[in-house]
Amino acid sequence: MSATGKITSIQQLKNVIREQTALRKAEKRPVLTVSAGTCGLARGSQKVIDSLKRLIKKEKLEKRVKVKVTGCHGFCEAEPNIIIQPGDIFYQKVGPEKAGDILHKTILKKKVLDELLYLDPNTGEKARGELDIPFYKKQKRIVLGDNALIDPTDINDYFSIGGYGALLKTLSGLTPEAVIDTVKRSGLRGRGGAGFLTGMKWELARKAKGDLKFIICNADEGDPGAYMDRSLLEGNPHLVLEGMMIGAFAIGAQKGFMYVRDEYPLAVKHVTQAIEQARHLGLLGENILGTGFNFDIQIAKGAGAFVCGEETALIASIEGRVGEPRQRPPFPVQKGLWAKPTNINNVETWGNVPLIIKKSGDWFAKIGTENSKGTKIFSLVGKINNTGLVEVPMGMTLREIIFDIGGGIPGGKEFKAVQTGGPSGGCLPKQRLDLPIDYQSLSQAGAIMGSGGMIIMDENTCMVDIAKYFLNFLRNESCGKCLSCREGTQRMWEIVKNISDGKGREEDLKILEELALAVKDASMCGLGQTAANPVLSTLRYFRKEYEDHIKRKKCPAMVCKELVSSPCQYACPIGQEASTYIAYIAQGKHKEAFDVIMKDNPLPSVCSRVCNHPCEKVCRAGESGLPISIRALKRFVMDWAEKNGIQYVPPRVSQNREKIAIIGAGPAGLTAAYYLALKGFRPTIFEALPVAGGMLAMGIPNHRLPKEVLAREIEVIKQAGVEIRTGLTLGKDILIEGLFKSDYKAVFCASGAGKSLKMDIPGEDAEGVLHSLEYLRDVNLSRPTKIGKRVVVVGGGNAAIDAARAALRDKACEKVTIFYRRTKAEMPALAEEVDASIDEGIDIQFLMAPVKVITKKGKAAAIECVRMKLGEKDASGRRRPVPIKGSNFIHKLDTLILAISERPDTSYIGEGDEIKRHGENIIIDDETGSTTRLGVFAGGDAVTGPNSVVDAIAAGKIAAETIEKYVSGQIVTRDYRLVRPLIYVKPAELSEEEAAKAKRPVIPALAMARRHKNFEEVEGTLSEIAAYREARRCLRCDLETEDGKSAIGAKK
Amino acid sequence: MIELKLNGLNVKAEEGWTLLETARFYGLEIPTLCYNEGLSVFGGCRLCLVEIGEGPKARLVSSCTYPAEEGLVVRTDTKRVIEARRMMIELMVSIAPNSKKIQDLASKFNVTQVRFKVRNEECVLCGLCVRMCAEQMDGRAIGFQNRGYKKKISTPFDLRSEECRLCGGCIYICPVCQLRCQGPEADTTLCNACLTMDPTCLDHYDELQCWMYDAGRCGTCVREK
Repeated sequence: MSATGKITSIQQLKNVIREQTALRKAEKRPVLTVSAGTCGLARGSQKVIDSLKRLIKKEKLEKRVKVKVTGCHGFCEAEPNIIIQPGDIFYQKVGPEKAGDILHKTILKKKVLDELLYLDPNTGEKARGELDIPFYKKQKRIVLGDNALIDPTDINDYFSIGGYGALLKTLSGLTPEAVIDTVKRSGLRGRGGAGFLTGMKWELARKAKGDLKFIICNADEGDPGAYMDRSLLEGNPHLVLEGMMIGAFAIGAQKGFMYVRDEYPLAVKHVTQAIEQARHLGLLGENILGTGFNFDIQIAKGAGAFVCGEETALIASIEGRVGEPRQRPPFPVQKGLWAKPTNINNVETWGNVPLIIKKSGDWFAKIGTENSKGTKIFSLVGKINNTGLVEVPMGMTLREIIFDIGGGIPGGKEFKAVQTGGPSGGCLPKQRLDLPIDYQSLSQAGAIMGSGGMIIMDENTCMVDIAKYFLNFLRNESCGKCLSCREGTQRMWEIVKNISDGKGREEDLKILEELALAVKDASMCGLGQTAANPVLSTLRYFRKEYEDHIKRKKCPAMVCKELVSSPCQYACPIGQEASTYIAYIAQGKHKEAFDVIMKDNPLPSVCSRVCNHPCEKVCRAGESGLPISIRALKRFVMDWAEKNGIQYVPPRVSQNREKIAIIGAGPAGLTAAYYLALKGFRPTIFEALPVAGGMLAMGIPNHRLPKEVLAREIEVIKQAGVEIRTGLTLGKDILIEGLFKSDYKAVFCASGAGKSLKMDIPGEDAEGVLHSLEYLRDVNLSRPTKIGKRVVVVGGGNAAIDAARAALRDKACEKVTIFYRRTKAEMPALAEEVDASIDEGIDIQFLMAPVKVITKKGKAAAIECVRMKLGEKDASGRRRPVPIKGSNFIHKLDTLILAISERPDTSYIGEGDEIKRHGENIIIDDETGSTTRLGVFAGGDAVTGPNSVVDAIAAGKIAAETIEKYVSGQIVTRDYRLVRPLIYVKPAELSEEEAAKAKRPVIPALAMARRHKNFEEVEGTLSEIAAYREARRCLRCDLETEDGKSAIGAKK
Repeated sequence: MIELKLNGLNVKAEEGWTLLETARFYGLEIPTLCYNEGLSVFGGCRLCLVEIGEGPKARLVSSCTYPAEEGLVVRTDTKRVIEARRMMIELMVSIAPNSKKIQDLASKFNVTQVRFKVRNEECVLCGLCVRMCAEQMDGRAIGFQNRGYKKKISTPFDLRSEECRLCGGCIYICPVCQLRCQGPEADTTLCNACLTMDPTCLDHYDELQCWMYDAGRCGTCVREK
């Protein structure tokens, strides 16, 4: 029987609670609890509820099942969700169409619907009930947990879980001092952000002089991303009201205000209902339960100002004045609302009070840490798998919350930072993940607990952009009274915006820090005093990111639009203006496209065949479809030029400047020489092999890069004024010392990484065991090679694929198998190469590693391998393969090619040369490319180890820039420029139909039959119409910057 | 009487005095802009900051609004105070460089650079005009609008006011409504003409004392452009 009339005595309340609790227990029907907080409703809970109710009515199942609509269950990612008792079943992401199945199968037939259970993405296992779900396992939901048990619009449901039992206990004989003492013993600290000891605050309020006192519940919750209070007010409003009643009793207040922000309509609705119901039953009003205690609560609504979360501004707002903070002292506890003693607490703080009274202060003090007792509710949002509200004991580490409960970062991305405490808080980096969450540790690390917002950021978040976002928020929300806050937030925002737009200057960081400290010191209220935190914390942990924006004009996360411009041009190590030449192709202006390509790249025909296209990886068209086929479009232009006899004539400059020596005629060396010649220097390349080209000639077989194509481009380079001398080995035929003596003013070491790594397995030296680079060199120099029928290649990089496809083309070979120790996802080789090799019939087997070569009469006959499984991540960020004991097996073969990796051979560097190395890799200054010896520079694979062609070309360009500075006596620094196209080409206009139909073309390839046992080029060129169509598909990101917009606007 | 420490001195203040009133009573100089003896206190310009307390809990407060407290330790010119004050002045110059009052403050407190883009807004939102109109002239015709960087002073809904009696009190009290010596079209952001002047007469007359050595009275001492 529900309580309907006024409850006028303690005993009567006791009875009501007992009755309702019994009623709840007596419920025989299974209960379907549907979450319908604001988050659930946004995801469609109402439709699910309607669907269930409609079906129940239609099939007259009212006596068989009960539907309960509750507030938020906390796991927002899984909304709408349904908890079914008995059986403890948790259904997530339920759609209205599932109502039938749930009723018929689960309720009536007790069959669990597998497809609605939670699937853990990390283990692949399904969870049946709440506690099996990793999100819930580690939580301690003592405050928020009841949300899942009650209908927030029915006070009787609250009674049925023992609600108002704490009020009962309080009014049954506790003195106000005893209540305050219990709260003091609990160690409860304000959950709104400041963390002031609640018991102490209540004591001060109680002791304050005056008969008229107020209490206020601060439900303004303005922090972006924080919604704990909303969830509590929507889902369990009576809990908060009960806390306020107990508090009012303890302090001696007769009136309470609940200040709720206007943006929470559902919370306002439920709290209003709850207050009315409580008042109707006599739990609010005069002479409550006949004890003489008078107390009532009134709702005051905010009007959209973040600053009204500050207590003195909140009080001004309730009083009808403008929401502006005032100086303290006097503190609200002495002179608050209408100058009367006022105690203000946050929603979550009030929500903890009934529990503390019911169970005791000592019980509460057992949870948490030394200085931070109890639990805290956090809103875990941002780049996290399990978005939702998390309640954990104080002291749990950030790592546990983010990875164990939060499930880590989606998309396998790297964690970068966590922002705690809203705009007043700070960002904490990876190094701080093991920080325990409590007031003290957080503040020591430069962050604050705040109200509990926890925003997770990954590698694609720019910290400068984050600072800009929060500063923009604060400059809008500042009340504007204090010059320091009003002007300070505005000016800080201006400076950070400039940095984000690529207009940052060297001195900006110093000005920013000075201004930040002044704003912090000079402002009157908490908003101003903490306004500098987003800036100060990001500068503390991510200063290099700011410096990259200012000095190098780069946004590492590729977020700041003005810096990135076209992502393709931005990500290209040599800055090729892909969006510009593609725009020309779209206009049929192939010669103009050709000129744009040639201005930044001396080896474009090569690149268009073998580049690993970092441009395509970041292409914006690829975010909602397939990226533009940039490499193929470049190939189209280069082949068109070749077909039409268009030759690039490099501008001839009189070469009367110094002699520069370059070691290695690979892409790095060739590029450096080319650009040095164009500057008027006299470069000579010394190449050890009989042919120029480095890995381009010796490593990549003809079927990917025909010899004539390479030779043509090298010829153009020579015409620019470059001398190439082959057959000369550094360390043997020439020495560095000798070069300087022969009047070369600088040396650029670009000797590459041409030595295969040994696997160090027994039998590696047997006949029939080859190493990839040496094998490919023989193939490319047309030297005889010994390939047998069954070939096994070990490795997963491009050298392995090249060796495999080359071996396949050998007349003697019948079958090629590749063994790779990780999985396809981790293979470093180009995806299109892997696919091509599979198409050609090469068998790639994953998760195997060789252990030993088995020989017969000194010749390799088989290989013993062990199967692998993926373990923890290693330094490269990939999961480390771990051998499975006892899984060894034998695989017969005739030839084994080992292609696990390569390294440089810099044995030509002697002690006396003073050139420091790390193993065989030459050490250089990251900025300038200079080695530890004055006048000697290095770049390409000789420094980095095996890397891409375009990175080597980039190293060559940088070398030309820095060597020129060095030789002309200038300070050797790099000139960084904003990524912009040289010219803004008018965009193509597509009809809706064309845009809808546009698709990435398939690149034509040689028919399988024609590839048999020869090295004919496999990949073909796009047709003119295909190239034209694809070029028009480009989104022209270069037109998105302010410069781009005004250029096109002007053209109009 | 309230007993407190002011710059190391033991001083006494009357009930209800602010720290600013106490300091001025004892002859200590604290700069102000939005403070006026005849009007209510506002505490917005942040120039009158003083440091209270000691150790890690020491903080800066506006002395015009902070009441004198028993046992309080107050210091008016610590490093924190001076640096904050100078930043406030720098910010003010960047908003309203054509204000003589603000330029004089810049000269006096050695603000040598203005690193923010100058806005030439002619209003630093000190609120003196609002308080003058409401409290002294009983007009209440103007007030603050909006918040944050959009805050401004105007009549309700920016409409022509029926309450305004055109008394000119707001213009009279405004610290920005006084042109600087170099005039509105000055070349440089910082003026420095009046307070750091160099009397030209002293070069001609050795044994003379300049009696006109007072901000801008003589007129010959304006620095050459």
